[in-house]
Formats: sequence, C-alpha cells, structure tokens
Amino acid sequence: MLDVTKSGLGTGTRAQSRLVSLQVNGEWHEVAVKPRVTLVEAIRDAIGLTGTKASCESGTCGACTVLVDGRPVLACITLAIECDGKEVRTVEGLADGEKLSALQEAFLDQGAIQCGFCTPGMLMSATALLERSPRPTREEINKALEGNLCRCTGYNAIVDAVLQASDQGVKPVMK
Amino acid sequence: MSELNYVGKSWRRKDGPDKVTGKAVYTQDVKLPGTLVGRILRSPHPHARIVRIDTSRAKALPGVKAVITVDDTKGIKHGFVETPRYPADQEVLARDKVVHVGEEIAAVAAIDQATALKAVELIEVEYEHLPAVFDPLQAMKPGAPEVHPSHPKVADPYANIGGKSETEWGDVERGFAESDYVREDRFESHLRTHGYLEPHVTLAHWEGDKMNVWTSSMGAFVKRAKLARTLDLPYSAVRIHKTYVGGTFGGKIDLYSHEYCAARLSMITGRPVRIVASREEIFSAFRHGQPLAMEIKTGVKKDGTIVAQQIRVINNSGGFRGSGVVVIFLAWGFTMIPYRIPNLRYEGFSVYTNYPVRAPQRGHGAPQIRFAIESQLDRIAEDLGIDPIAIRLRNARLPGEALPNGDNVHQAGLVDCIKMAAEKSGFLEKHGRDRGAPPQGTIRRGIGIGVSAYMGGTLIYPNGSAVIVKMNDDGSAVVLTGAIDIGQGSETVISQIVAEELAIGMDDVKIISSDTDTTPQDIGAWISGMTYVTGNAARQAAGNARDKLIAVASEKLGVPVSELAVKDKVVFSTRDPSARLTYRQAIAASIATHRGDTVIGEGYWRTMRDEPNHPSLATTKGRWTENYAFSAQVAEVEVDIETGEARLVKALTVHDCGFPVNPALVKGQIDGQISMALGHAFMEEVMTKDGYTLNPNWLDYRMPTIHNMAISEDADVITEQYRVGEPYRTKEVGEGLVSGILAAMANAVYDATGVRLNSTPFTAEKILYGLKALEFKQKQASREETVGA
Repeated sequence: MLDVTKSGLGTGTRAQSRLVSLQVNGEWHEVAVKPRVTLVEAIRDAIGLTGTKASCESGTCGACTVLVDGRPVLACITLAIECDGKEVRTVEGLADGEKLSALQEAFLDQGAIQCGFCTPGMLMSATALLERSPRPTREEINKALEGNLCRCTGYNAIVDAVLQASDQGVKPVMK
Repeated sequence: MSELNYVGKSWRRKDGPDKVTGKAVYTQDVKLPGTLVGRILRSPHPHARIVRIDTSRAKALPGVKAVITVDDTKGIKHGFVETPRYPADQEVLARDKVVHVGEEIAAVAAIDQATALKAVELIEVEYEHLPAVFDPLQAMKPGAPEVHPSHPKVADPYANIGGKSETEWGDVERGFAESDYVREDRFESHLRTHGYLEPHVTLAHWEGDKMNVWTSSMGAFVKRAKLARTLDLPYSAVRIHKTYVGGTFGGKIDLYSHEYCAARLSMITGRPVRIVASREEIFSAFRHGQPLAMEIKTGVKKDGTIVAQQIRVINNSGGFRGSGVVVIFLAWGFTMIPYRIPNLRYEGFSVYTNYPVRAPQRGHGAPQIRFAIESQLDRIAEDLGIDPIAIRLRNARLPGEALPNGDNVHQAGLVDCIKMAAEKSGFLEKHGRDRGAPPQGTIRRGIGIGVSAYMGGTLIYPNGSAVIVKMNDDGSAVVLTGAIDIGQGSETVISQIVAEELAIGMDDVKIISSDTDTTPQDIGAWISGMTYVTGNAARQAAGNARDKLIAVASEKLGVPVSELAVKDKVVFSTRDPSARLTYRQAIAASIATHRGDTVIGEGYWRTMRDEPNHPSLATTKGRWTENYAFSAQVAEVEVDIETGEARLVKALTVHDCGFPVNPALVKGQIDGQISMALGHAFMEEVMTKDGYTLNPNWLDYRMPTIHNMAISEDADVITEQYRVGEPYRTKEVGEGLVSGILAAMANAVYDATGVRLNSTPFTAEKILYGLKALEFKQKQASREETVGA
C-alpha cells in the first residue's frame, strides 16, 4: 500500500505535471500527468478510453494489458511518462470501424467471453502474439497468455479462439 | 411448439460485441463530473473496543469534504439473512467495538486519492484490545472470548453460536444398529477467495431526492432494498443503475459497507462519491467463502446401501452472521439430494470468530459437503470390496422420487449421469491401475468420481421476477428485465426466449436490464434460478405480446385465433398462408382499433407457488424447490510422487441441467467451474494468522493460469421429453458443478497414490507426507512379517 505520509506524494504540495504525448490507436494525445500517474490511469482518465480495465493495480492479473510499440505491457505498473512519444494500442483500436478483427470474432464464436473483464487484456496479449506468430502453437499461446488471469472460462475457449483466429482448424461453436 | 429456432441453440452473446470492443460499461467506467474519492478506515485489530474516535484532524485537511463514523448513520442494521430468528445484525460502520481485522470504522470523501488516503491516516482511534478467537472449535467452548452472545434459541452450552440448523428423520440409532458396517470420518475445507477480476467498486450520486448508485453486484433489487433501508430512504428514492459486472461468484451479493458509505458521503457532500476497493482490501477485509469442518458417520449394508447417516458441520462464520447460517442449512440440503438416506440426523453450527465475515461462494456449501461425503463413500466402497460406480448407483435417487422435505426430484437424471460418466471415462478399467502395478518413473495417474445435485431458484427476496416486452411499431421488441448479466449470459438467454416466443430475430430484440427504476423486479443472479425464473417470466411476457398480435390479426383477417400462427414477424393463417398480417400492420391495427394499445406483454414467475417462504434455516422444514439438477463428474489426475505435486489432467462432467437454452453457454459454465475447482483442490488458499491475511495478492494467492488448464469434456443426459416437450424446463448449471469434481479429484489422488486426504487443498506437502506415512507403514508391516517369520 502506498504510504502517503512518507512518499512525499501527500496533499497540499503541488506536484509538477508533465506533458506526455501518446499515439493512442493512431491518434496523438497530449496529456498533462503527474510523475506517479500510471499508463492505465492516463488512458482511462485523461484520454477517456475505458475499455482497458484496472483490476489488481499491481501487475498480477493482466486485465490492463495494452500494446506499447507493439509489445504487451501491464499498464497498471507502467508510468505514463515512460511512454512519452510512444505508440499505444488498446482494445478500442482492434476493430476496423464496424469490422471486428478475426480474433474479436473468434472470441465471440468460441464463447471465450463471460464477464468480459479480462477480455480487453486477453485480446491485446493475443493480438501481439498473432502479429509476431501468425500460427502459434499451443505452447506459444500458453506462454503469451500466462500473465492474463481469467476466472470465468477456464481458458479452454480462449485458446480455441486464438486457434480459430489463426486458422488452425477450430470451428465456431456459437452462431 | 414444434420447431425451435432460437431456444436450444448456441447463439453468440448479446453483450459480446460490446465486450470485445471495450464499449461495455462497468461501474469503474461510469464518470460523473465533480466526483470525490472515498476511502474506508479499517480496523487494524481482530478484536478491540473502540474507546474514542477523533476525526477532527482529518476533517481539517484541505481537500477533505466529509468524514463519517457510525454516529453519522441512522444506526439501522443489515444482514445477509433478515428473518425473525436471524434479524439483521451488522451496522454499516463499527459501533463500540471491532470484531475483525479490516472492519469498517469510518469513511472519508476527498478531492483526490492522495488526500483521501491522508485523511484516513489522520483519523485517530483509541482501541482497547480484547482477547480474540479464530478457531471455531475454540470459539464454541464455554468461556471462550465472546465475539457476540450465542443465539438465544440455541440450547447447547456453547459460546459464540450465530445459529444452528438441525433436522432428523427416521431412527438413526436403529439405522446404525441395523447396518453391517459403520464408518466415521472428519473432513475440513479451507478459506478461498472468489477471485472476481473486477474489484468491488461503487459510485453514488445524491441528487437531493434521488440516490443514484452504480455498483458491482449480483442483483440490483437486493442492493436497492438494503441500501434504502440502511439509508432510511423509500425504495423509490434509490436507483441502482445498470452496469456490466466483472465477475462475482457469490462475493458481491450482500450489502457492503463501502456501498453505504459512498451513498452517505454523497448525501453529505452533494457530490458523486466513488469508492474502489484495492485488491489488498478485498483479500484481507472483504468476504470470502466458508471453511467447514464436517464429521460424518455412515452406516451401510454389505452391498453398500446407505442405512443411516449422522452429520455434524461447523462453520467459521467470522465476525458477523453473514451467510454463515445459510451455509449450514445448505450443507444439509446438498447432503439430502443425491442419495437415499433412510435415517438421518444433521446438525450444523455457525460459529462467530474474529475473522472477516463470510459470503456465499459458488456452490455455497456443496463443494465442501460433497467432498466429504463422496470421499467417505469411496472409502466405504473399498472397505466393502465394492467399486465406486456400483455403490453410487446403489444409492442414487431415481426419477420421480420424493425427497424427505416433500420435494420431488422429477426427471432426475442422476443414474444416467453416473452410468454415462463411468462408461465415457473408462472408469472401471482405469481405476486402481497405478496402485496395483506402479509404472516406471515418478508420475502416477489416478481416476475418481464425485456426484452432486443442486437446487435452482429458491425463495429468497425478492422472490419473483417480472419481464415486460414492449413491441416497437416496426415489429421489433424491447425487453425490460431486472436480470443482471454477471457473465453467465442472462441477456443472451432472455433474448433467445423472447425471439423464440415472438418469432422475431435475435437482432430484433433489444434488452434493457438491471435498472431498478426502469426494469421490473428480478430475483438476481445469485440463487441459480435466472434462466428458470426470469426466463419463464420472459416466455410469459413474449407470449402475452404474441397473443395480443394474434388477437388483432384474427379480427383484421376474420380468421379464428386457433388457426393463426406466427413466423418472421408475420401472423398468418395455417389454412391459407396468403391470409397474413405483418407485425407492423398488426400493431398499427391495435393502436387504431384498441384505443391506442401499442402491444405490451407482461410476464412474471415464481418458484414454489404454493409455498409462502423459503424453508426454515433452523429446522429445514418447508419445501425448497421443484428444480433439482444432477451431475456425476470424473477427474483424472497426475501426481508426481517425488515432489507430491498433483494436477488435474482431464475432467468429465455428465449432467442433467434440464433443457439447455444455450448449450455453448452451458459449456462455458462447466469449463469455468472445472477451473475454479482445480484451483480449490490444488492451488488456492487464503493464508491467515491471528485474523490477518498473509497473502493478499495474486502473486502469493495462486489462481489457475492458462498453464493449469485441464481438458474439460461434458455430456448431458437430457431426455427427449425435455427436448421436445419442455424447452423451458431448465435447471441449475452455474455453481453446482464445482462440487462433484472436487470430490472426484480427492478420490483420484487416492487412486493414484494411496494417499487419502481429508482436508482441502491437496497440496504437495500433504501428499508427500501421506506417501512417507504409507512407506513407513509398509516398512513396519514387512518388518513385523520378518519378525513373525
């Protein structure tokens, strides 16, 4: 737990904000953030994209995963100022207008979503995987998604969705 | 209905597109201008008298807008159970003393998080430490530190009894006397958290005469009732708004203090207040599931027929009653259903300790008691030389059997479940194989079976669901339902039912849900009855709208109602399909000729229509449900005898969940329960010492990751009768299936290693210890043999 009294982050003092430029889903945003502001806070609160979820806020569950320069990053333990000038992709950037990505479609087809709270992070981790490995093995899928907790599905449907999206013979189970 | 187009088919989730694009709005996504940050001051002690609270320094801090203690509340108590026997027992903030670490003492609202945290630190509380007690067996002893006085109606000379469930039928003593074999065992389960990804979060905004609340919950109407009562407002002054919910598993039902505090702080400040629980708070101060200690004595005939059973269950309910008095009732219920027990004596105690309060947790007593009963049944079978399948078939309920409480199991598919599970898994060929002839290497495989049954949609406030189907004048429909989608898929299932009954497309159905002002009352997503209760209300409502359309068409077309049918938004004559009226035309005609009637359908449903109330928690008297689901589950595990580590390799679930409205959603429930159960068995434990949580995060509390996935296969034994005649004869599927599989894993570990574990979790340490003990016993036996020779 943050010890406010000792951290110097307390009240009454004016913490200097810094301007940070983030290219989020193709659009540049300039946001003023205090040094302690995390990337997930900048994305959700300053930029207003709430698709990225805050869950454990300690880097243990993967719900906040976004792509920074194409690599999955835990946005709850990444400072916004570290990402100045970088490209950030969130779940809102996956679809091409109304057209969902093959992975998003596969999540719908396989029943890979229940409560949906892990879904944005899961989709981002899996998207990064498919971009570097278009036909991943089961081991690669497990490795890529090992940091994303899902309490609802037991992961089986999520693995099937990644296999379906990478055209590895898994057929939709829902219509 | 001859042909089904929507019901019984695996339609994609209605909420799916919003959930894969980030558009789905959860409570943390709702933003209101001027929102203050709320924070709770929690007790650092397990048991202490509050001598003095001084909030003046906190109130004086710039940026702090309000600080509340119990003196700023109306002092109205709440409880998970609120009945004459078990009245509300908990204040929204601690008064005079705290009874567990993390108990809420005060709350602040400030302009930002840092100020709120600072303000909490500036609240001065003087405590006088009281002796604390953590083990329920110690807490029960007369003279133990008193958390609360024992329940006045419990006659036993025990301390700290929050409640007792007690029931008996037949003649247990005679039953044991008539038994060929009697066995007694003791089992224990452990503390686990629910593990919902979305933290507890509440946003409240008082608008002078209206309390608007967004909160992560399992039922809007329960929250409204409890919030309104504790705030002393009429129900109409509290509105719970719809948000999607990021997982619950039982942990978001009851009223939580932070929900009240957000609302009260908003009333005082006139600004919106948001309180988010940190994961550390959830782990160390919020409600987890319920560890039970279970003593079971069972008498059987030589052929394995159960003659008598005596069960004593002790629950560690924490600092208040919570759902502790419910779990001791439910443990009886989950004992009673699957097998015939001619003579039974049951007593369950709910014991106060200085732990945080307990909540329901997926299965609510079933995983614990089924683990115990099914483990013992396997031991009895082995002692008698009967196989695990035969002993279960010998005792399993048959279709149409009456239960001791007067309920009927109707088309219970348990016998079919057991047979199919045995056959599909090759159970009898695999069982005992590695114990009989251990293979090379350190890996041993084992197989085990467990059986369970679960009730659906019992009578708990608000007891019934209503649904409204409003026709749009283009023939599409808006469905108003209080049902809350916590991930189980209620919006999808209700849409399928409405589409089916109205003969319109899935895309023609728009769901408005879970808003206490705009949608009708609903039972909520926490008593395993939403598809059955709300689903049938939706069927009625859609059918009601359809009947109105047909009646208008009958007048317009001059065709009797009995000769009209509907398809693709058209009413047509079954004799002459060219005589037809589109829904658009029918609605226009209804407005024109029926004094403006725009065609609105109403439906409502309640289980146990002849019963006034839920059965007595104390005596179990009264009927419970007409809706019992059954299952048999087989686990195949691998154990490394060098390290003691065990894992679930494959699970097979054979179930009778009634008619599956959406088979893929049913499958999703099964897979999720297998995963949760394997965490229960092998991975998860909230570690505590003196009431403090030692592992309050997901690094030290290990939930299953993708590496712990097991193969999850399933099959149903749904009869043709369900398929053709009763597409709405749905039963439970969302929580009972964490139970049989847990027992199956325990039995499979034994099958692999010969190590019998009477307590969860089945850790490497316990298994290794068991293996060493076996080795020691064998050595001793061979030494004795040598000596004897």
